Amino acid sequence: MPDYVVMPKTVTEIQRVLRLANHRKIPVIPYCNGTNIGGLCVPEEGGIIMDLKRMDQIIKIDPETCYAVIEPGVSHAAFSAALKASNPQWKGNEFSKGFDFGWGVHPASASVLAMAINHGIGHLNGRIGINSQLLTGMEVVLPTGEVCKLGSCAYSDSWHSYLPLPRMDGLFTGWLGTTGIVTKLGMWIFPIRPFKDVCTIAAASADDITKYMVHWRHYSLCDEVTAVSWWLAQVPIVFPYREKPKDAPEFYSYTVLTGWTQEEIDYKKKMWKQVVAQERAKGTKLIDFEYPPEAKKGRTELPSRIVGSTKNYSKSCGGGIAWPGTFAPCKSWPILYEKWKEIYIRHGLSPATRFTDYQGAHYGMLRCMTPFNKRDPASVQAARDAMVECVRAGIPEGMLPYKPPVEYQNELNAVADAGYLYLTAKIKDMLDPNNILNPGKLGVR
Amino acid sequence: MSHLLKNKNLEIAKIYDYVSMCTHCGNCKYGYEYGPDANFAAMLCVQGDKFNFDSYRGSRGKVSLARSLMHNRIGFSDAVAHVLFTCTGCGACQQMCETDIKPYILRMFEALRADAWKQNVKIPANIKAWSDTIGKNYNPYKEKHEKRLDWIPSSIKSSLPKKAEYIYFVGCTASYRQKEVALATVRLLQKLKVDFTIVDDEWCCASPLLRTGQYDTAKDFVEHNSALPDKYKASAFITTCSGCYRTLSRDYKMDAPEGYADKYGKNLPNTKVLHTTQLVEEMMNKGEIEFTGKFAQKVTYHDPCHLGRHAEVYDAPRNILKKVPGLEFVEMYRNKKFSFCCGAGGGVRGGFADYSLETATKRVKEAEATGAQVLTSACPFCYTNLHDAIEMNKSPLKFEDIIQIIEPIVKRK
Ligand SMILES: Cc1cc2nc3c(=O)[nH]c(=O)nc-3n(C[C@H](O)[C@H](O)[C@H](O)COP(=O)(O)OP(=O)(O)OC[C@H]3O[C@@H](n4cnc5c(N)ncnc54)[C@H](O)[C@@H]3O)c2cc1C
Ligand code: SF4
Ligand code: SF4
Repeated sequence: MPDYVVMPKTVTEIQRVLRLANHRKIPVIPYCNGTNIGGLCVPEEGGIIMDLKRMDQIIKIDPETCYAVIEPGVSHAAFSAALKASNPQWKGNEFSKGFDFGWGVHPASASVLAMAINHGIGHLNGRIGINSQLLTGMEVVLPTGEVCKLGSCAYSDSWHSYLPLPRMDGLFTGWLGTTGIVTKLGMWIFPIRPFKDVCTIAAASADDITKYMVHWRHYSLCDEVTAVSWWLAQVPIVFPYREKPKDAPEFYSYTVLTGWTQEEIDYKKKMWKQVVAQERAKGTKLIDFEYPPEAKKGRTELPSRIVGSTKNYSKSCGGGIAWPGTFAPCKSWPILYEKWKEIYIRHGLSPATRFTDYQGAHYGMLRCMTPFNKRDPASVQAARDAMVECVRAGIPEGMLPYKPPVEYQNELNAVADAGYLYLTAKIKDMLDPNNILNPGKLGVR
Repeated sequence: MSHLLKNKNLEIAKIYDYVSMCTHCGNCKYGYEYGPDANFAAMLCVQGDKFNFDSYRGSRGKVSLARSLMHNRIGFSDAVAHVLFTCTGCGACQQMCETDIKPYILRMFEALRADAWKQNVKIPANIKAWSDTIGKNYNPYKEKHEKRLDWIPSSIKSSLPKKAEYIYFVGCTASYRQKEVALATVRLLQKLKVDFTIVDDEWCCASPLLRTGQYDTAKDFVEHNSALPDKYKASAFITTCSGCYRTLSRDYKMDAPEGYADKYGKNLPNTKVLHTTQLVEEMMNKGEIEFTGKFAQKVTYHDPCHLGRHAEVYDAPRNILKKVPGLEFVEMYRNKKFSFCCGAGGGVRGGFADYSLETATKRVKEAEATGAQVLTSACPFCYTNLHDAIEMNKSPLKFEDIIQIIEPIVKRK
C-alpha cells in the first residue's frame, strides 16, 4: 500500500516532490495507469505513488519529420485519435491520411510513454522493432530533482533522433521507473498504409509453426507474424486445463500485410503462398484455416478496447490474468513450448502460448496467457508457481522476461553475469543515491 | 490471505462473484472507439474529470474500493464515501467495459452506497436532508405532497379523466421545479388526442433512493407506484423524465442486475412504460402528427444518461428533431453512447452543487462549440442543471426541452 498519492501537473512539481522525497528518503513510484501485468507500480516499501495522468499533453506532432512528443499521461486512445487526424506531409503537401504507432493489445487508457520506455510491444514490431526502438528524445527528472534532456532535443527544439549522440536514453529505458521520471518522450510515427490483409495458417506442432514463421519473416514483408496455441485460440481461454481434441492443430498463426496499393498486397500474398508451398514441400505440416472477420478486425484496428479488455479471460475463471512475457530467440520457441506445456499441465493450467516475431529475423516474443481465479488462493498460487517455473526453464535458452515482476527479476539475477549486476547497481546508485525510485523492483537495491 | 472475502455481510458481497470479474484493464477510465469509420477519444467520466485520482475514475477505481472493503484491507471512511457519492452513475464506464462485470457496474455503485449508509461516514448533508423527509413528502424536494399537482391549471385539471389508457407519470422534478416541461407535455398530449390522465397519488418513482443506495425506503415507493396502473385501469405509463423512465422501465420490471426484481419482485408486468419521445416518434411514423409551424434555429441535443446509456433510447429524440421544419440539427462531439453527463445524476446535484454545476458548464461549453443556438434534452433534471449552468455562465445558448420545442408547432392529423 502506498502512504501517499500525488498527481503533479508540471515538471517543477515533480522536481519538488522528488527533492523532498530524496531528502526524507521516501520511496516514489511512477504511475500512469497501472495496467502493467508485473505489479511494477505496487510499492515494495510504501511511499508515494506519483500518478502522472494529469500530464496529458501531446506537445507536438511533426508531420514532416514524422515524430511526436508526448507527456506521460497521454493514453493510447488520445494518441491514436490525434495521430489518425494528422496527415503525413511536406510543407502542406499531404501524402496520405493519418499516422500509426506500434499499438499493443492493451487497454486504450494505458500510457503510451510508460509502455514505450519499458520496451512495449505493438503491432508494427515485426516491421520496425519494438516501441523502445522508436524513441527519439526524452526529458527526464532525476531522483535528485535535476531535469535533463536527451537526444537532439538537448540542443534545439527538434526531437527527431538520439543519434549521433551517446545513447543515454538507455539509462531510463527498460528500468521500470527506477532511475528517473520521464516527463516528455519523442517517438517516430509512421504513415498509415491504406491497404491491409490478414493471412492465416495452422500447424500440427510448435516445430512446424516455427519453421514456417522463421521462413516467412525472413523476407521482412509483413507488419506482424504471430502464432497462438490451440488453448489460446479458444474463446475464452481454456481454464482449467483440458485436453485438445486429437484432430485440432496445435498452433494457429496470422500475419498482417499492409501496403500502399492493392498490387503491393497481392505481391506480398503471392510471396506468402510461396513460403507456405515451399514449407509443405519440405514436409512441414501446415493446415489451412480462415480467421473469422471479427478476429481480423482485432488485428488491424488497434488500439482496441475490445482486445485490450481481456474479455476472453475473465469469462473463463475469476477475473485474474497474468503471463510470463518474454523476449526470446525464435530457435527456442519449440523447445520452450514443450517445457512450458509440461509445467502448465502439471499445474492444471492450459499452455495458452503465443509466439510473435520482432523485426525480421532477429528476435521474438514468447508468452503464456495464464488465467486464474482471484477468489481461490490455490488457483492464484498455481498460476504464480507455473509462471516462475517457466521463467526459470527459459533463461538458459536465451529467454528474458519483459517488464518483469520481482519474482522473475530474482530468477534473472540469480544467474546473471556478475559484471552486469555490478554495473546495474552502480548506475542505480549513481542516479538514485538514496534508492527512492521504485525501490526493490530491480532486485539489486 | 488478503484476497479472501471477509466482509460477507456487506450488500456489495452479494455480487462479489461479478465484481471479481473485473480484470482491472482500465477501459472504463476513458471513452474510446477506433476503426475504419470511427476515431473517437475523450474523457467521459465526470467524476474522474473533476477529482482525477484513480479511485474516482470509472468503475475500475470503485472495484478496487469494493474488493478492498470486502477483503478488509480498508474500512469505510469519509474519503471512501466521497468517492462513492461523487459518481453521477452516468454509465459511461459501463459503456466502455467489455468484461463480465459490465452489467453489474451500476448495481455495484448502488450496493456500495447502500453499505455506506450503514457506516458512520459522511453522507452528503443534502442527500441526508431529503432522505429524512421523502418518506413523508414522497418527493426529494422537501415539498408537500398535497402541492404535487399545483402546476396544473384548473381548466386542464378538470378535463382529466378518472381512468385512461396512459398515466402521465410527471415525476418530482417536473411537478415541483420544471413545471413548464410538465405543462408542455400535457398540452402536447391533449393536442395529439392521447387518452391520458394524471394521478394525485403519484409518488416519487424512487430513482433518487435507488441511485443513492436507500433500498429499504425505496421499497414502499416501488410497491405504491406499481399499484397505480391497476387502480386507474391504465395500460401504460408515459414519462417526460428520463430518470422516471429508467426507474419504471428497468428497476421496477427487470431482474438483477438491470433492475431490482430480486429485491422488490417483478413489478408492472402488464404495463408499458414509454418516454414521451418514443410516443411522439411512434405517432410521427404512423403519420398521425402534422407540423403547423417552424422552429428555425440551430439545435444540439444532450443525451440524458438515464434515457441514453441506461435505456439505449438514442434515436427517438433525434428522429423527432430532424423532422421539425426549419430546425438545423448538430451533434456535439460526445454524443449517444459516448455522451457526457450533465453532472446532476446519482444524487450529485443535491449532494455537491458546485461540482455538479461545474460539470454542467463543461457540457454547455461543448454545446456552444457546435454553434447551436438552442441546447435541448429530454429530461427535466438535465434541464435544471444545464439551464442553471447556462445562466451562471451567461451563455448565449437557450435551453428548451424537446417537448417545449415541438408542442407549439404540432397538431393531430
Ligand atoms: C490486457 C492487457 C494487454 C496488454 N498488452 C500489452 C501489449 O500488447 N504491449 C505492451 O507493451 N504492453 C501490454 N500490456 C501492458 C501495459 O498495459 C502497457 O505496457 C501499458 O502501456 C502500460 O501503461 P500504464 O499507463 O498502465 O503504465 P503503468 O503500469 O502505470 O507503469 C508501467 C511502468 O512504467 C513506470 N513508469 C510509468 N510512468 C513513468 C514515467 N513517466 N517515467 C518513468 N517510469 C514510469 C512505472 O513505474 C511502471 O514500472 C498489456 C496489459 C494488459 C492489462
Ligand atoms: S470495470 Fe470493466 S473496463 Fe473497468 S477495469 Fe474492470 S473490467 Fe476493465
Ligand atoms: S458512472 Fe459515470 S461518473 Fe460514475 S464512475 Fe462511471 S463514468 Fe464516472
